[in-house]
Amino acid sequence: MFSERERERYKRQMMLFGDEGQERLKKAHIFIAGAGGLGSPVSIYLAVAGIGTLTVVDRDVVDQSNLNRQILHYDRDIGRKKTESAEEKLCAINPDIRIRVIDTTIEEKNAGDLVGKADGIVDAMDNYPTRYLLNDVSLRKKIPLFHGAICGFYGQATTIIPGQTACLACIFPKAPPKEVFPVVGVTPGLIGMVQATEVLKYLLKRGELLTNRLFIWDGIQAHADEICIERNPRCTACGSFCETPGDI
Amino acid sequence: MWFFLRNTGGHMMKVKVRFFARFRELLGTDVIVEVGERTTLPDLIKQVTQKNVEGYNAIFDEHGHFREYVILMRNAKRIDIADAAMNIVADGDDVAVFPPVAGG
Repeated sequence: MFSERERERYKRQMMLFGDEGQERLKKAHIFIAGAGGLGSPVSIYLAVAGIGTLTVVDRDVVDQSNLNRQILHYDRDIGRKKTESAEEKLCAINPDIRIRVIDTTIEEKNAGDLVGKADGIVDAMDNYPTRYLLNDVSLRKKIPLFHGAICGFYGQATTIIPGQTACLACIFPKAPPKEVFPVVGVTPGLIGMVQATEVLKYLLKRGELLTNRLFIWDGIQAHADEICIERNPRCTACGSFCETPGDI
Repeated sequence: MWFFLRNTGGHMMKVKVRFFARFRELLGTDVIVEVGERTTLPDLIKQVTQKNVEGYNAIFDEHGHFREYVILMRNAKRIDIADAAMNIVADGDDVAVFPPVAGG
């Protein structure tokens, strides 16, 4: 059931997917790993769309150098916990949803508990070791993983449905070297929108998901590419978790 | 951006090599290359990158092996870099080479 305020707030999108669709969003719980360049636009747009519960995890404090892209955080937030800053903004953006923030580092020992019974995991991390942890949790708990990553004007995104699609380790078996990556805010903005759109479509059961496809964006050329991907029969991550490893 | 590289001798085949992200910055977007018969995937990429030290070094290590995170696709099919040398390119092949991006 929706309050009058909610009906008014979501009126224009309920023209698209009705009470039933909006109810699906309201009942959903999405876990967002990171409140940085990708986590900011993803969480803002999922909040305004009316996802019932958003959990946002981050371990950092806001730094001045974050502000060219991490649009959840303002100049006045410098030195403040990103989770605190994110909670304040997201609650103000939509007081009709539940925002949970957790100020911690995602590690092997806590990743499963942090994700809990979420309906989807958004990968808004900036490193592959943590992404592989999220991938493992996604496979173990059979929770979809919405991957995104960026560098400079380039970005990539894909949607992983455990047991059905290639997993993150099938696509990227080895992590690229860690580096301080250049970035301009529009790139995580764009890739974050791809991820958030995927989350909505998954919850609404609408359209074609970005499964077994890697979306590649080149902002310099204003060109989007798509590469078909498939499960890797030799994948060390999904071979032991998937129920049907033989159906490759 | 298109480049044409030419080899001499034997039956030549035209292959398209596409680079992405950082590799694209170093080596260009699309390269059409003519290669001889029995050219393997590593041979192909080495031929395209041989005159670009930075580009070559981004893709290959000091032993001339693909760096472990390099993603290779041939005609939209993923090729494990460990198997790349067993892949002989064919006329009209579309080869994509890209590094995963990591930032968030």
